[in-house]
Amino acid sequence: MTAEPKLAPIRKGLLEFLVLKIVGARSVYVPDILRRLADTEFATQEGTLYPLLSKLRRENLVEYRWQESDSGPPRKYYRLTQAGRDQLTALDDYWIRINRTISDIGH
Amino acid sequence: MQRLSITASLNGTTLQFDEAAFARLEAYLDDARHTLAENPDQAEILADLEQAVAEQCRKRLPTERQVVTLAELEPALEEIGSVQVPDATPEPEPAPRSSPRRQLEQVSEGALISGVCLGLARYLDVDVTLVRIVALLLLFFTGGAMIIVYLILMLLLPFAAPQPGAPPIGKLPAKSREFVEFVRGKLSTAAG
Repeated sequence: MTAEPKLAPIRKGLLEFLVLKIVGARSVYVPDILRRLADTEFATQEGTLYPLLSKLRRENLVEYRWQESDSGPPRKYYRLTQAGRDQLTALDDYWIRINRTISDIGH
Repeated sequence: MQRLSITASLNGTTLQFDEAAFARLEAYLDDARHTLAENPDQAEILADLEQAVAEQCRKRLPTERQVVTLAELEPALEEIGSVQVPDATPEPEPAPRSSPRRQLEQVSEGALISGVCLGLARYLDVDVTLVRIVALLLLFFTGGAMIIVYLILMLLLPFAAPQPGAPPIGKLPAKSREFVEFVRGKLSTAAG
């Protein structure tokens, strides 16, 4: 029996954290985020990302501004708000802590 | 013969679709709209998705062609993926609604003609017989003008979802429903 069905919700839960990390690194638009995740376990799609970003925006963790593009319509560039940066720091700390717990436990 | 193409405005980007691709696009967006029904950012996410569809289709459209077909749309939608709603935020839950908001609909199950009276009775929470008697009286007193009112309501009111244990749809209501859906189909093609 494969563990995959139990891993899927873990990935799903971590996606938000990873999106915050990507947006935190520099101002990005959605195809940048998709590309960054494409070759990882967290590869995702616009149908997932847009609702997630709108949720983060509603929680006041990210904000966007419109930026003209040379090819096609203007694009939404996302970046973290101060609250978003605080949350990312908290998540980073938490991640390090639970990582340590997971590798220490059972030894 | 020139094939029919439909021009669609996707969040400001204009693209032409053939009929099959347009129907597929509408189905995708309807599905997204439905999935996002409870989402306060529904309109904005739909706009984002429309723009994504437009970009993906344009990227795939051969330069010598103007009209998007399923050959471009299917892989585009495949790449965008169906809409997934993120888990509910730990925001305070809105107070549970005391009763679902009632909507004026027509009810095919157990209807005599199209279910307008039945829907009205359900909406007003009165006996359907009472509504039918009033409708008949109005029919006589208005010299038949009620028929027009009935027809308009029949064409406008959405069909209610069947309730558990509902009686089967009679012959006339089934025909009437077919007719209404046919007319609506014609109207939406004419408008699009």
